[in-house]
Amino acid sequence: MDSNIIVEEIKKYIQQNILAETVQIDANSNLKQAGIDSFSTVEIILFIERKFGVSIPDEKLLPENFKTLQSLATIVQELMPEAPNT
Amino acid sequence: MSKQLFNKSDLPKKVFLSGADCFHLVLDKHAKKHGAGGNVMRKIFYFDRSLSFNKINSILSGSPVIYWLCNIKLVSGRFFGLPYWKYVDAGNQIVLQEHRSSIESDIPAVILKRDITVDSTRFIEADLVYYPSGRCAFVISWNHILLDAKGTTLLFEHLNQISEKKNQDPGIYFPGKEKRPAILSYIRNMYQVKKFVQVSARPPVSSVATTATKSGDGATRTKIISFTLDQTKKINDNAFTCGSRFGPTLYLVACCSHVVHFLNQQRNRAGDLWIPVPYDGRLRGAIGPLISNCVSFLFYRIPKAELIDLPQTVACLRTQMTAQIKEGIPQQYTMFLNMMRYAPLWLYYFLIYHTNKGVFASFLYTSTGDNFNELNSLFGEPIRNLHMIPALTFPPGLTFVFLKHDEVLHLNITYSPEIISDNELLLIEEKINQTLLANH
Repeated sequence: MDSNIIVEEIKKYIQQNILAETVQIDANSNLKQAGIDSFSTVEIILFIERKFGVSIPDEKLLPENFKTLQSLATIVQELMPEAPNT
Repeated sequence: MSKQLFNKSDLPKKVFLSGADCFHLVLDKHAKKHGAGGNVMRKIFYFDRSLSFNKINSILSGSPVIYWLCNIKLVSGRFFGLPYWKYVDAGNQIVLQEHRSSIESDIPAVILKRDITVDSTRFIEADLVYYPSGRCAFVISWNHILLDAKGTTLLFEHLNQISEKKNQDPGIYFPGKEKRPAILSYIRNMYQVKKFVQVSARPPVSSVATTATKSGDGATRTKIISFTLDQTKKINDNAFTCGSRFGPTLYLVACCSHVVHFLNQQRNRAGDLWIPVPYDGRLRGAIGPLISNCVSFLFYRIPKAELIDLPQTVACLRTQMTAQIKEGIPQQYTMFLNMMRYAPLWLYYFLIYHTNKGVFASFLYTSTGDNFNELNSLFGEPIRNLHMIPALTFPPGLTFVFLKHDEVLHLNITYSPEIISDNELLLIEEKINQTLLANH
């Protein structure tokens, strides 16, 4: 799946469910500085697992992987099964 | 609403209490019954220079929010109606009191013992304490029914804006119109949450206090442990190593649990622990509301068998945190509290007190997170240090408060001397230091 699509999906979820209307983020915004705390990070993980059908293993639960929408999208891409060649 | 000059004409005539506010009304009743020091929160700011009394008084008097807090009355709900704050505009101004102490950083007992109840004229009080070194402390005390920890951060931002003569958005300070879910959602949530809490808090739960214990003079004592920058880093590293992957919260809760378990073992009363941990219900990055408690809870039950080592306890907490966030327990609990507002106070108190057999928790834990980490100045003056003294809920009569300021962690142990003896406090201090700073 294209990284931009993943970024947009996660961004939409965060903006609708976690962040106040006044807080705007883009692919490279620092999520912690935007107000994302440990509880919200768990909410984001649960959303990612539900939406993209992946399971994020413990070794990927590193602060640097949850720093921006872009870094989250990279993790999702790594964990998603490759589309079969047609 | 666009930014404009915020003044008294913007103040709301009527503000309904939130579910969490009403829960604090119950705690207030409980505090009165047990004479346990009241439901008063205090924040202490230390400054290197003496602040001008007149300047601070003028800033405080210029705040419409503070004026509102000095001019309201609680109107109890009748016939299952909601309780609300009625703005009476009686012309009461905040009273800023001046004190002198010969002991550096000491806060006079007159401030710490002052109660602010639902019957008080003002719900907020302010004090300036001057020391011989030329330094001073500013203390602000308020009844917890009106403001939670995040609300106070917003209050200080509001005071800073007044001090800098900046325009403010009057729309952000008071709670907006509440979205009321369908009655069936309410009933379903009430049932689910009641079931969840009953299972989670099922007896036997070991507490630092017993229901039979009552406080004598209501004295609340505090012990503050300030960690260095290196120690704070070590605690954060330990948290990560022990499995608390997104911030140290679970590790801090686990460390406090180990200390309380150790204390219970010394008293031959070790058992499972049950701890409600506050959860800010505002959207992240929200700049309002300032007034009203927007707090929900995550509830952790730690079986005795999971209190052997820290990574194991953190894993136990993490599993419960994930499951509760997945189930939406904090949101459901908010709905539960909102529904409970319709019950008369005596019935609410009866239900809470008898469901938990008078024990609200094994101990209490709270953290201000990063709320105050970057609050570097107040009234235009750099803050040297700050502390928070929470309202002590009794029982259990022991609260651990973590506060981060300027990247350094502070722990405030607030306790009732009837629950924790002097020797036990020394034991707690030693054990919490060892546990937080252990090599993992």
